[in-house]
Amino acid sequence: MDQIKSLIYRPSAAAVVALLSVTLFYIFAGVEFGKLMGAASWVNYAARIGIVALPVCLLMVAGEIDISIGAMIPAGAMTTAIISGHFELPMSFGIIGALSVGVIVGVINGILAIRTNVPTLIITLATLVGMQGVVLAGSKLLTGSASVPLTAPDWAKTLFGQLMFGGSHQVIIIWWVVLAVVFWFFLHMSKYGNWIFAMGGDNESARNAGIPVNRMTVLLFVLTSTSAAFVGMCHAILFNSAQVSGGMNDIFNIIVSVVVGGVLLTGGFGTVFGVFVGTLTFAVVNKGIDFTAIDRNWANLIIGFMLLIAVAMNESFRAFALRASVGKKGATPEPSPEKAT
Amino acid sequence: MSSSTQNAKAKVSFGRLIRLPETGSFIGFVVVYIFFAILGGAVFVGAPGWSSWLNIGAEVGIIALPVGLLMIAGEFDISVGSIVPASSMTVAMLSGHYDFPATVGILGGLAIGLSIGFANGLLVTRTTIPSLIVTIGVMFAVMGLTLGFAVLLKGSTSVSYVPHPTAKFLLGQFINYMFSVAIFWWLAFVAFFFYILHISPLGNWIFAVGGDRESARNAGIPTSKVTIGLFMASGFCAAFVGVAQVMTYQQAQVAGGQSFIFNSIMCVVIGGVLLTGGAGSIVGILLGTMTFAVVNQGVFFAALDPNTGSIIVGALLLIAVVSNDSFRKFAISAASKKT
Repeated sequence: MDQIKSLIYRPSAAAVVALLSVTLFYIFAGVEFGKLMGAASWVNYAARIGIVALPVCLLMVAGEIDISIGAMIPAGAMTTAIISGHFELPMSFGIIGALSVGVIVGVINGILAIRTNVPTLIITLATLVGMQGVVLAGSKLLTGSASVPLTAPDWAKTLFGQLMFGGSHQVIIIWWVVLAVVFWFFLHMSKYGNWIFAMGGDNESARNAGIPVNRMTVLLFVLTSTSAAFVGMCHAILFNSAQVSGGMNDIFNIIVSVVVGGVLLTGGFGTVFGVFVGTLTFAVVNKGIDFTAIDRNWANLIIGFMLLIAVAMNESFRAFALRASVGKKGATPEPSPEKAT
Repeated sequence: MSSSTQNAKAKVSFGRLIRLPETGSFIGFVVVYIFFAILGGAVFVGAPGWSSWLNIGAEVGIIALPVGLLMIAGEFDISVGSIVPASSMTVAMLSGHYDFPATVGILGGLAIGLSIGFANGLLVTRTTIPSLIVTIGVMFAVMGLTLGFAVLLKGSTSVSYVPHPTAKFLLGQFINYMFSVAIFWWLAFVAFFFYILHISPLGNWIFAVGGDRESARNAGIPTSKVTIGLFMASGFCAAFVGVAQVMTYQQAQVAGGQSFIFNSIMCVVIGGVLLTGGAGSIVGILLGTMTFAVVNQGVFFAALDPNTGSIIVGALLLIAVVSNDSFRKFAISAASKKT
């Protein structure tokens, strides 16, 4: 019983429940479980949004948000394609170029976030719109078109853009899983993770405790925009071309995945595992509906309800867990045990 | 309150003027307008230019007003992006597909907006979930419902509708073949929201809720009712734009409307409202919307690449954000020096 309780108290509990219920719902709606598991569409999709959702999770735990990622996915793709496709420079230049664009935008976001009192939603909205314009106008100016072809050499294909198992699973799935482990270690095992939680819990106290809050904030913004540029780069290498459009839907999809995964928008609460499961859930809902008899058009309705229910579950589980931990303390002679009940 | 405003009117000093929150937005508008007037020439300064940016401004401006009020009260509404197509679909479905009178269709469309706004408000006030997340969830749900029902009932994602002449005259005509009638509705909404925010006691409540919700509640302000009312206002205005769109274009589509989400927020931010809550003005939001619309349409007249428009909007946002931040520090420090 205690074990069940401690499972429920985990921040990822709601995400696991959401994943199970969505899968069950689809099975009742006529999906063959094996077919769904073997399908590549939803795993590929999960990897695409998941690679960005991981650093966004860290950023949200630190109490900030980044919506400029929506422009960074096409920006990464276009940079790679323009450098290595249009100007025919070596592939490594394209890869470094795409990642540098990510770093630069992340630094801009981060500096604006620490230098002003403006909410980061507004700051990154500005860089989102600005980058969209830069990417579109830049591509028109340099190549004269909004879509650029790219032929990647074999080593780049193998690393970033191959299809695995002779099927249609993309190699970024492996990147996603590896990055999830890295981010899990970073947030939950290293001291930096404690810093991030402290920043999200109370930024001022974290600063007073000697945590380099400013440097960490910039680092987190660099991680989100670079990851988004990375995803764009992998897609350009995989599909042999890059388009300027796309990415806007990813903003909300990524935020939904992170929030379903149990991360608190106001900061200080969340786990990498929860976000991993949240991303899987989102991908199953969004792509799994193609395997049911349900019309694809209802998918958004399910996503909306799933988000609201999952968040409501997160809230009540958290309240439940906090009450339980306060109650435990109340057993030992602590002041004001009345508050616990 | 009234005596202090009279006082302010009595001594209009330069220092006071420069510290007004609207001054920055006004300077921004003038600079942007002159820039495009030079590049765009006589056509942009003449009636075609004015009509093109006012038409755009009216659509986004009607939504930006209540979104701005919500941001002053410290909340977001993302769902407006899905209410616009939902309401125009409802109108086209009721009056176009099922041949009900135009009034039924219009009332239906507006009722959809009000009820979605009510649902938003209820969810935000009854739970501890941030409004950004609540309205994202509602946006997805409404998008799914609109698409699903359109395909279920009509079998297609777009419905055409030839509106009744009176309805067309009131909501969807072009005066002089150029100026959309929505511009006048926009002005009416501006006057209405100006009254609400700056003259009626409700406005003080909205500022108080955005400044400190807990103190506002303790001061006896019905914070939940204010919040629900504001969400219903943004739902209503988004639905109104949807109705006006179907009357103008004689067709409703399930997609589209997404651009209103960020565009309305950008107009509000350029207009000097920051999401720290408790500050902002209707004149500022109006100026912000006008600036946004001038940039949006000016690029076409100036023969620039249309995409440079979004670079300019992004830069404007950053300037607005940074200057408002320093403006406010400046104003607050000047005010505290006096006392």
